[in-house]
Parts: sequence; C-alpha cells; structure tokens
Amino acid sequence: MDGQLGQLSDAAAAEYATLTAPNGKVHLIAKELGQLNGAISDALQTGSTPNDLMDRRDLLFDQLSELGQVSLTPQDNGSVTVAFGDAATPLVDGTTVTWPQTLTTPNGRLGALKQLSDPGGTLDTYRKSLSAAARTLADSVNDLHASPPFFTFTDGSEAATLKVGVTASQIVTSTTADPGANDLAGKIAGLRSGSADAAYRTFVSTLGADVNAVNREQANAKALTQSVDDRRTSVNGVSLDEEMTNLVRFQRAYQASARSMSTMDEMLEQLIMRTGRVGL
Amino acid sequence: MNGRITTGMLQRNILADLQRSTSQLSRTQAKLSSGKEITRPSDDPAGTAKALSLRESLRGTQQHAKNVDDAITWTDATESALSSMTDIVQRARTLVVNGASDGTDQTSRDAIAKEIDQLAESLKEQANMRYAGRQLFSGTATTTAPYDAGSDAYAGNTGQMAREIGPGVSVNVNTTADTILGSGQAAGDDKLLDTLRDISDHLRAGDGASLRGTDLDRIDKGVESLLTARATNGALTNRLESASSRLAAVEEMTVKSLSDTEDADLAKTMIDLTTQTSAYQAALKAGANIVQSSLMDFLR
Repeated sequence: MDGQLGQLSDAAAAEYATLTAPNGKVHLIAKELGQLNGAISDALQTGSTPNDLMDRRDLLFDQLSELGQVSLTPQDNGSVTVAFGDAATPLVDGTTVTWPQTLTTPNGRLGALKQLSDPGGTLDTYRKSLSAAARTLADSVNDLHASPPFFTFTDGSEAATLKVGVTASQIVTSTTADPGANDLAGKIAGLRSGSADAAYRTFVSTLGADVNAVNREQANAKALTQSVDDRRTSVNGVSLDEEMTNLVRFQRAYQASARSMSTMDEMLEQLIMRTGRVGL
Repeated sequence: MNGRITTGMLQRNILADLQRSTSQLSRTQAKLSSGKEITRPSDDPAGTAKALSLRESLRGTQQHAKNVDDAITWTDATESALSSMTDIVQRARTLVVNGASDGTDQTSRDAIAKEIDQLAESLKEQANMRYAGRQLFSGTATTTAPYDAGSDAYAGNTGQMAREIGPGVSVNVNTTADTILGSGQAAGDDKLLDTLRDISDHLRAGDGASLRGTDLDRIDKGVESLLTARATNGALTNRLESASSRLAAVEEMTVKSLSDTEDADLAKTMIDLTTQTSAYQAALKAGANIVQSSLMDFLR
C-alpha cells in the first residue's frame, strides 16, 4: 500500500514536471499567446478587426486556466497581459514570454498535482500516518518480543520496510525456556484492540472521510463551473431558435424591400409607358 | 436564472444530468453485485470504522473459540488419563486388602508385590501420556516426559499452562503429575508412587500390620487426590463448554451487526435501482427530444 501511494505521488510529480517543463504545455500555450498578441495589435493598428485571431486567443485562455489560476489585463494596443498562478513575472506581456518560473500555489490542475506530490502534501501525509501505524505495531510487539526483534523496519519508511524479523524457530513464546509456557504470546495477543489497531483504524477512517469530502467538493465545483459557463454562454453562445428567427426576419425584410422595388418599378412603368403618349 | 438559454447550454445541462444519473446507477449496481453497502471507506467513513472494530472483535472471538476448543481437548485427554489412573489405583487397593490378610502366604505376597510394582509403572506410563506431541502432566516442560524409566522422580515443572478464553480471562488447563503421583520413595512425599513402593516393600517383608494400618489409609488418600484432580478437571471442562457456547453466541451477534453495518439492504437497493433506471430512461428520452427539435423543424 505504501508502494502504491509512492507510485501515485511519483506519477503526479512527473505529470507536473511535464506540464511545466520548457516547451511543456504551459510554455507552448504562452508562446502562441505571445505571437497572437503581436498579430492582434498589428492588425488593430491597420484598422481591421482580427476576430478569428481573438477567438483563437480566447480558446488558449480557456486551456491555460484549466492548468492554473490565470488573470488577464487587456492593454490599450489590443494585447493582453497574462499572469499565471503566483509566478512573480507575468507569463505573457505583449510578445514577451517568461517561462519557466517558480510556482508555490498555482491552483488549477497544476496546483492539485503539486499538492498531491509535494512533501507534506496529501499523499505524503497518508504515507506518514501509515508508517506511524506500522511503527506503533512494530514497537508494541517488539517491546514484548525484543530478542530477536519480532518486526524489523527502517526508520522513516516503516510502512514500506516492515518485515517479520524472526524465523519460526526464533519465535519466543515465554520469558522462561519451558516449551509449553505462553505468557509472552498471551501478552502479544492482548495487544489486540490496542494502540496499533486504533492507529490503523484512524488512518482508514480519515482516508475515507477525506475522499468523501473531496467527492462532495467535486460535485459543488462542477455545479459552480456549470453555472458560470451557463452565464457565459447566455451572453456569447448561439441559440439556434434565435438565429432562425433572425434569419426569417431578415428574409422577410429582404422580401419586403424586393417587393417595394417591384412596386416602384411598376409605378415607373405606369409613368413612362402609359402616360403622355406624345408623338405617337 | 439565466436570461438567455442557448442550444449549447441545453445540451450541456442534459449531458451533466445524464452523467449524474449514470454515476448513481453505477453505484447502486456496485452495491447490488457486491452485496455490500460499503465497498470503499469513502462510502461511509463512520460505518467503515465501526466495521473495522467489529471485524477485529470477531477475529478475537474466533481466536478465543479456538483456544477454548484446544483447552477442551486438553482437559478431555487429561480426564481419560486420570480415569485410567483411578482404575489402576483401585486395583492396587484390592491387592493391598488381599495381601494384608494374615491368610496370605509369603509367596502370594511376593507375587502381589510384583503386580504392585507393575501397577506403579503403569501409573507412570499414564502420566507420560502425550496429546498432540505435548506432555499432558509435565507442567510447561511439554517436551520432557514427567517420569523417566527406572526413576520415580518427577522430571517436569510446576508451570501453569494458561489459555485465554475471553478478553482478559485466562484459565489454567493443565494438571501436573507431581501433585498426584509425587516423586517416589526418595522424596518420601506420601504421594501415590511413594505409597505403592512402600506397600511393595511391606509385602515383600511380610509386614501385615503396616499393610492393614497406614498403607490402606495412604492408598485411600491417593484415590482421594486423584478424584479431587478429576473433579477440578471436570469443572474446568464444564466451564470451557459454557464459554464455548457463549463465544458462539457472541460471534453470531458480531457477524449480524457487521452485516447490518456493511451489507446492502437487497430490497431497498433493488427498488433504488428500478427508480434510478426509470429516471435515467426518462432523462434520455427528454434529452433526445429536446436536442433534436428546433425552430428549424417547424419552418418550411
């Protein structure tokens, strides 16, 4: 179990490193944002509106804010300054990209990965309490079964290294040498429901409560995200009904103006062809 | 809440709702197929802690039941050895009565003395009985026979063999041979081996007075000590048997409350599953209708 926690922690650390590496995902998005900033301010200077470039830039903002906390500051020349996480220097300022930088609490996906894998983070805490439970078990048994110690372990990684340190013939059941005496074995059996059991039980229920809380928070965050997304799409989204209605409206307007053209034409025809037949 | 509802919004809401229904369904299905209400600690952290301590006390009860079974076979084996010893001593007593009468001549007394010697050896053989490779009457020195051939000295110790039959409750299950048979003439402890060897000497010496007098009393005392040991042992067996049935009851109770804690209520889960399935189907149908239709369907 300790090994699995370790692998999980390593995997999270590796993913964090891949995302934040030079030419990793963050860097690539930042570079493209820099180029788009340049292209957009150039286009604005020549008086045109580069809508497709702006759309592309918005999409990149979305992708970047999945990875970490992003705050945007629009500049007068149409470029946008991007601050990322708690990095000291803006990630993108005009066409300048500053990456890699040190992040402490970047939030978003990077923040989660960092919190999982950092020393003192979630997985590290679990490994420590697992080790503490293993240590309690080993110590309480070893106190009674000291020579040779019943359990062996390495300090600091008890859960991973805990091993039964005796062979069947080395197990001592009594403080006397009599083969039928079992006072020590009885005392070890008496450790049942003791501090080691309690430590492990606490670990399991803490883990369960944590996962439970995280599941609830995830549901809340999902609902919030959806509500915010709804707000956004209610402003910039496309409603087919609305577009259809507009289409019909414009079609009707077009028909109406066509009709007024033909009416005008008929009037002129009347005027030119039918009146004042002079000279005929 | 939202001023303007867009097509994308509708689709996303429907997808999110479907997702929620599916995850509920999958949880209910997991409950049904595993038969467990709690399949992982996060399902019910408090219930998990309770289930853990219940399972721990269940293991404890099962181990205590095993200890009791072991102790009962131990006391049964002890009882059968003690009962054979009683038969042997009763036979010795009859012989002493025969030998003590003045009508018995010295040849017969010599023959009786020989038989008494044999009976003493049989007593030692019974005391050397083993159960599952362990000496019954040697105290905690279970690999040492209490009596060596050719010597009446007790070779075991006086250690008590404890069996834990409940939380914090231990009983001593063994009877040591030195309290009944003693260590023979050399020790002069007035126990059965000492008595029988003395009787044999008195028979050979033709000492009818001692035979009629103290020897009969002494052998009666020996029978008495055997009976006391058997009574103690029998009372212990009774106590162990009642402990065994009590432990079985405790185990059944623990299993039941463990099942109450972590097993799924089948009827309730079944009904949940049906409700959720129909809700899911309704959501699917509504979703299919809404996603397909737009104003476009109604305009030529």
